[in-house]
Amino acid sequence: MFYLIGLGLGDAKDITVKGLEIIQKCDKVLLEGYTSILTVGKEILEKFYGRPLIVADRELCESNIDDILKEAKEKDIALLVVGDPLGATTHTDMLLRAKEFEVETQIVHNASIMNAVSCCGLQLYNFGETVSIPYWTDSWKPDSFFDKILGNYKRNLHTLCLLDIKVKEPTEESLTKKIRQYMEPKFMSVKEAARQIVQIINNLPEKTDIAVDSLAIGLSRVGSLDQKIMATTLEDMQQVELGPPLHSLVIPAPNLHPLELDYLAQYR
Amino acid sequence: MVNFTVDEIRGMMDKKRNIRNMSVIAHVDHGKSTLTDSLVSKAGIIAGARAGETRFTDTRKDEQDRCITIKSTAISMYFELEEKDLVFITNPDQREKSEKGFLINLIDSPGHVDFSSEVTAALRVTDGALVVVDCVSGVCVQTETVLRQAIAERIKPILFMNKMDRALLELQLESEELYQTFQRIVENVNVIIATYSDDSGPMGEVRVDPSKGSVGFGSGLHGWAFTLKQFAEMYADKFKIDLVKLMNRLWGENFFNANTKKWAKQRDNDNKRSFCMYVLDPIYKVFSAIMNFRKEEIESLLKKIGVTLKHEDADKDGKALLKVVMRTWLPAGEALLQMIAIHLPSPVVAQKYRMEMLYEGPHDDEAAIGIKTCDPEAPLMMYVSKMVPTSDKGRFYAFGRVFSGKVVTGQKARIMGPNFTPGKREDLYEKTIQRTILMMGRYVEAIEDVPSGNICGLVGVDQFLVKTGTITTFKNAHNMKVMKFSVSPVVRVAVEPKNPADLPKLVEGLKRLAKSDPMVQCINEESGEHIVAGAGELHLEICLKDLEEDHACIPIKKSDPVVSYRETVSEESDQMCLSKSPNKHNRLFMRAAPMPDGLPEDIDEGKVNPRDDFKTRARYLCDKFEYDITEARKIWCFGPEGTGPNILVDCSKGVQYLNEIKDSVVAGFQWAAKEGVMAEENLRGVRFNIYDVTLHTDAIHRGGGQIIPTTRRCLYACLLTAAPRLMEPVYLCEIQCPEVAVGGIYGVLNRRRGHVFEESQVAGTPMFVVKAYLPVNESFGFTADLRSNTGGQAFPQCVFDHWQILPGDPCEAGTKPYNVVQETRKRKGLKDGLPDLTQYLDKL
Repeated sequence: MFYLIGLGLGDAKDITVKGLEIIQKCDKVLLEGYTSILTVGKEILEKFYGRPLIVADRELCESNIDDILKEAKEKDIALLVVGDPLGATTHTDMLLRAKEFEVETQIVHNASIMNAVSCCGLQLYNFGETVSIPYWTDSWKPDSFFDKILGNYKRNLHTLCLLDIKVKEPTEESLTKKIRQYMEPKFMSVKEAARQIVQIINNLPEKTDIAVDSLAIGLSRVGSLDQKIMATTLEDMQQVELGPPLHSLVIPAPNLHPLELDYLAQYR
Repeated sequence: MVNFTVDEIRGMMDKKRNIRNMSVIAHVDHGKSTLTDSLVSKAGIIAGARAGETRFTDTRKDEQDRCITIKSTAISMYFELEEKDLVFITNPDQREKSEKGFLINLIDSPGHVDFSSEVTAALRVTDGALVVVDCVSGVCVQTETVLRQAIAERIKPILFMNKMDRALLELQLESEELYQTFQRIVENVNVIIATYSDDSGPMGEVRVDPSKGSVGFGSGLHGWAFTLKQFAEMYADKFKIDLVKLMNRLWGENFFNANTKKWAKQRDNDNKRSFCMYVLDPIYKVFSAIMNFRKEEIESLLKKIGVTLKHEDADKDGKALLKVVMRTWLPAGEALLQMIAIHLPSPVVAQKYRMEMLYEGPHDDEAAIGIKTCDPEAPLMMYVSKMVPTSDKGRFYAFGRVFSGKVVTGQKARIMGPNFTPGKREDLYEKTIQRTILMMGRYVEAIEDVPSGNICGLVGVDQFLVKTGTITTFKNAHNMKVMKFSVSPVVRVAVEPKNPADLPKLVEGLKRLAKSDPMVQCINEESGEHIVAGAGELHLEICLKDLEEDHACIPIKKSDPVVSYRETVSEESDQMCLSKSPNKHNRLFMRAAPMPDGLPEDIDEGKVNPRDDFKTRARYLCDKFEYDITEARKIWCFGPEGTGPNILVDCSKGVQYLNEIKDSVVAGFQWAAKEGVMAEENLRGVRFNIYDVTLHTDAIHRGGGQIIPTTRRCLYACLLTAAPRLMEPVYLCEIQCPEVAVGGIYGVLNRRRGHVFEESQVAGTPMFVVKAYLPVNESFGFTADLRSNTGGQAFPQCVFDHWQILPGDPCEAGTKPYNVVQETRKRKGLKDGLPDLTQYLDKL
């Protein structure tokens, strides 16, 4: 059996009871570590679960997962994913492949930033398409996500922006070589995301509905005890420090419900 | 001894109309360096008596030992022209008023094909070329190659018929026969010139013409030479004919009847060709009198030609006397100097039409105007064409030409390598020029500054440039165009230190070697192998010797030479190839197809290139190769290295956000084009079409990490499904030999998969010329083999000519290409066997 188990957002104890029981009976437990991270670190998790964990990086999950799936035909193997296991689009492919190999699967859900974002007071019903904001390089500055934010905004919907994380990502130069070199891990902050958005706005040929003085909400470490939330203009968001990762950014709809406004007021 | 000082030369540098920058080019062994000596001795740098033996410009010990030029060598000289000759310079831009001194910057270049990249580097910084042809062997393959290169760079040629002494002493040609030989050479040269330029072009009349004085005759070895001008001067007073008119009469179908004193245009029984009568006969008389020891006749002849022997020469006879007499009568330096000063363009004249060939930027910016007008007050534009080793090991002078402005010691300048693009910081350094120097053959002289139109060396720039580059003070300057070589580095060896601890020294030595030669490539394979690639066996031999003795200074082990191959396809992919990104959310759909014949060559020659306007380029591709015009407008890139003979075409329709992944797809294409699927050799002549692309909705999931490897996999699948083939490099081989040896040549060529496509007798001589195509792979030891099979009588010149498909399917065990693939894979440390399509092709 192949289990996909969500770990939730905060710390080791956010795992569900069902999830914990499965981990303890599995032959092998993998911890997926590239779509998101838990701030507590692998050792603390191992101690709490009482099991050794194998860190699964992008290459293992994307390119070399077949061997593990085949192994799961005979044994019980669990892959732990921070947040909800299907929050990241990547893991649906794993389930498809498992089906191809005739391996049974089970999913244990958990909280994800996709729902926990409601802690800022914006109603989940009113969120539009979610976007990710990638780290720009000198030559690669995609801005298509802004069109989507704009699309949501025009329909009076909020946009949740997930911010890029780079854990064991190959460097650009090494992508065309046989020997991979990896970048230092880095996590985009609310500040950096706001800067890229402001740049896009400034480079636009004409004015759009979203301007540098539009409202934005920065969130950090949602679900943990020291989570922070901050609401201010995009312009000012460029200077906001919200502490260690992970961060998320929300661009709220132009017309907010009175209840949303009341709740947001405490973060201004 | 030297009859000019550095200060004099510096003074001359400002008189840009009196400067001549020239190279001496020719086939190997036609006597360039020997002839150059005549000029060097006229300048007083070497003793006149030793001119012809010293080969002053062959500065290296191995050059002297082998009697072959390996590196091009520059020398600056100062001469004065007499008043009577100055009037022949009619163009006001060719001469400063009231100045009879001339500064000649001469570059002697190698003749052997393996070193022709040195010729390319020399041509770039000069405006004129003295083409030397051995009148016994005639126009040879390398004469044609260098001449073609010169014309393409807009370098004006003048011609010199060398080795007349051999024609007279060894072959004992009759004067009419000799005239015919000369006439043929002039014609051959003019045919080549006419093929690559025409008289109405920007250079004006390029053809060489003896009656205009742009063709010289003589013997570099004996130190004598003349043009028709010299002889016309001797007779002009006697005949009372204008000098120019007389020069016309002394060449071509002009006959003189000594009895009736009448000129005729046709040959008759009692008249004689004027060239034979007035030019050759006196020379023949001197030769026969001296060589037959007819003392009295010699004395009377000497009086007639106005030669008085010096006391110490009076006792000489035979060849020694002949030399002294001839070089006193017709000093080679004088004739050459006149040819150069009168017929070669000054920088002022040349830069006007060369600018558009030299400068990549807009033709009306400050730099372009500065080059066009050769203005020393404009911003500095200098092209560094090669690196010259200094006595300080590991350091180099950057050698080049100032085209605009002034280069000054201590000046701050922008140093731009070939990868620099305006507006970016890549390959750009802002540094101080430590010193400017004058290159004087075997030694250098420091000089304060050098104005436009001159050639010089720079100290302290070598660390910032690999081989070549542009140096400027103009912030918005573009690069000067990168040189195109006529040869490619197709032969390679792997090197390693005998003592493994010396590896760092080897790596450093390879860096220096790469700098010191315009073409050699030092490649660091990912397998850890160090590869040195050169034009041919001799080129590699010299490079490796330099590496061992000068650059790394450690004992080196080298592998057997191997050639590099190219991978290509012979059909269109038999299916639409799909590859998915690692996260499975992005999908590419592509096919590969062979390019039509001639297109890869057009790309090599730059007729189709990435910098063209895409509309003009599409029109050309549509007209000449029947490409669909809309597709031809959407060529994403060329590769490998952004310029190679493979293209990636976007044939998709309406894919949203395709532009966001373009850079990643291009990077994947460059990678695959550089390392093909079969044996990781470069691709050649492959066109890839992108038909459709599915992308993840979110930019973060379609970054380089997802797209680059996927593109490569997809391209590999395209190649494997398009009947892949290997291409091997082929030499054009020209062999000169006497008739008896021709049979032996055929035997050797047959054993080596070569085939003869032309065989002809050199008119007027018993020599035969055999032209053949020979695969480079079969050429190792060819020269030695040929010599042993022809009793040492045949001497080949091999120059890279084209790529040809190695017959057979590389995927079928037992074929020749299969074996080549396996050997190459083994050498590169790749998996044995064949690449597996299922690794690259995904299912829907």
